[in-house]
Amino acid sequence: MRKRVLVAMSGGVDSSVAAALLHADGYEVIGATMKLGCHGDADVADRPCCSLDSVNDARRVCERLGVPHYVLDLQSAFSRDVVRDFADEYARGRTPIPCVRCNTFTKFRDLARKAAALDCDFVATGHYAQVVDGALHRGLDPAKDQSYFLWGLARDVLARLLLPVGGRTKAETRAAARALGLQVVAEKPESMDICFVPDGDHVAVLRRELGADAPALARGPFLDRDGRVLGEHDGYARFTIGQRRGLPGGFREPMFVVAIDPARRAVVLGPRDALLGRGIVVREANWLASAPPRPGDAVQVQHRHRAAPAAATVVRIDGDEFEVALESPLPAIAPGQSLVCYDGTRVVGGGVIESGLAASPGRATLPILAA
Amino acid sequence: MTRPAPIYLDHAATTPVRAEVLEAMLPYFSARFGNPSSSHRVGREARAAFDEARERLATTLGAHADEIVFTSGGTESDNLAILGTWRKRRAEGRDVVVTAPTEHKAVLEVAHHVAHEGGTERLVAVDADGVVTTAALEAQLDARVAVVSLMWINNETGVVQDIPALAARARACGATVHTDAVQAFGKVPIDLRTLPVDLLALSGHKLGGPKGIGALYVRRGTPLAPLLHGGAQDRGRRPGTENVAAAIGLAVAAELAVAERERECARLAALRDALERALLARVPDAVVHGAGATRAPHVLNVSVPGTDSESLLMALDLANICASGGSACQSGSVGASHVLAAMGVPRDLAAGALRLSVGALTTEACIARTAEVFPALVEKARRLSGTSSPGAPIACAFDAR
Repeated sequence: MRKRVLVAMSGGVDSSVAAALLHADGYEVIGATMKLGCHGDADVADRPCCSLDSVNDARRVCERLGVPHYVLDLQSAFSRDVVRDFADEYARGRTPIPCVRCNTFTKFRDLARKAAALDCDFVATGHYAQVVDGALHRGLDPAKDQSYFLWGLARDVLARLLLPVGGRTKAETRAAARALGLQVVAEKPESMDICFVPDGDHVAVLRRELGADAPALARGPFLDRDGRVLGEHDGYARFTIGQRRGLPGGFREPMFVVAIDPARRAVVLGPRDALLGRGIVVREANWLASAPPRPGDAVQVQHRHRAAPAAATVVRIDGDEFEVALESPLPAIAPGQSLVCYDGTRVVGGGVIESGLAASPGRATLPILAA
Repeated sequence: MTRPAPIYLDHAATTPVRAEVLEAMLPYFSARFGNPSSSHRVGREARAAFDEARERLATTLGAHADEIVFTSGGTESDNLAILGTWRKRRAEGRDVVVTAPTEHKAVLEVAHHVAHEGGTERLVAVDADGVVTTAALEAQLDARVAVVSLMWINNETGVVQDIPALAARARACGATVHTDAVQAFGKVPIDLRTLPVDLLALSGHKLGGPKGIGALYVRRGTPLAPLLHGGAQDRGRRPGTENVAAAIGLAVAAELAVAERERECARLAALRDALERALLARVPDAVVHGAGATRAPHVLNVSVPGTDSESLLMALDLANICASGGSACQSGSVGASHVLAAMGVPRDLAAGALRLSVGALTTEACIARTAEVFPALVEKARRLSGTSSPGAPIACAFDAR
């Protein structure tokens, strides 16, 4: 009996190749494209994912493979779990990563449940990450590694997850697409934007979700760390920790956003060294390793998608909250981003950054964000 | 690896072309390929065949040949009927289109479009079974009504409207009456010599004819502006080179459907009733929509509480059974049914609706097989369908070990 696998297909090259490779390996492939509400039925030009064209591309790949293809309407759950949370996080002065929540809730909870209902033995995606002996590892191609976005998976999903392109480079994937006859998708451009944020204009999404008169989009002060007013901005949701663009000028040294204070609608500015944190408090922890770390354990942590892993020590674990002390200070620790713990290439677990700590934790902790 | 032929329970979506129909069409793709507008012999041959198709189709309806306009299908027929008449009649001060919220989108969207062009759309309320009562229709009728458009047999539920009675009321207030009979042709007797409607839409592929052909009956004297411009074909009502082969296919399919109507309807009703009984016996809390109304013999619309049609349809498909849910949207996902919503079916229940429609390909064995696999699919869908409640925790793997 062939093993049945549901492949989440965006219409892009990675998930198309994933489906084709599994098909070639003898799996019974079922293709599924999630309809997430970022396009309706309208045709959105120049959007690599989530357009009607993308659904059609996924369908054509499935037709070529001779496997069934379905469109799954996950709009209402996606809009609640991902889009609304995205807006709410900005309203709280944080910088969310909707892709993490989409993976955690939409793809690997809701879609995985659909897969189970269809008697699928496995779920597959085109993510650049690898599952080795039931453990999640970084993708082989460091330029493409997406393991940072996958820390929120339920561990039982990991046991039936296939990531066929995770052991390849992007160039190899494109070559495989050509070799497998998937010209439809082989040369498609990379998707860079967040799927429901066209042209990277996240403020338009916030206006829709929060209302044009939301405090997060209203005028507020730029403050220095002592509370002196330095100018005025058009809404703190336009800013993120570490940002330089859009700040007032005329300072002796380069200034950055070092904190956001929604209660006062304030964007707090400071010099480069004010961005540095020595500890990080994390919530919504999810451990993928069968034995989660204990206080005192050494881990490597990554606090942004493109950041290099940094040496750290777990200093506290309380339920789904934990705290790490960094060996060397890290810049721009942004609440709402993910902190992912690695052991070499293996993803140990992760969570959502609650705050960066200016002093090394374990002693008197001083959240940078205490306003 | 060859898979067995699927069990096709989606005849309301489309039907296979009948052998007699295909045979009648074939010469017009090759030897008799002419353009009916050409004056030479090859053209005349095609003209003769096309005229004959028009006459034969008219005869099945009790209509005159000149009252038949061939179109590309049901959607075009509905568009032409409503827009074409409304655009003519608004000059008399009649700018209202009356229809029901359970209509096909080919009617509802046209009514919206009328509103966009400066007219008014009015929707007649339906009862819990999806029936338009004469009283409900009366409430929407006045001297401003240009067109009343009501579907004879609903494509999702199979609910039959009392078109003769409703049409008579609408006529009495001076409205032009259109009926979408795409599902009704071959299922109810239609005789336009006595039926008080002015316009009637039908489609080839629902009755064993080819896709891409339909017809609109236009009673003599009915005001109708064309939607397309660019030729004098069909008295200017529908310019464009005639689809000769398909028109012949439609005429032959219509003749067969009318000739076999009583016997086939009895057969289909028995199959549908057997399916309905079997499903309700195995899934006792399943809800049949429109159960209190007169229903067409070929449609069963049933909701299974606690499931979503998307999951059930996929599971049925993987079990080699073809059915459908609400109206399919362009991307191919299963949308919530506007028909069930208009009938006041709760959203959760409507989300689990399946339309199973029997027809030419359906045998007792198909019904038995469907009844056999259905309970297990429902059981699984119930356990796993849907999305979790808001704020459901991430399955957190944090534990002592």
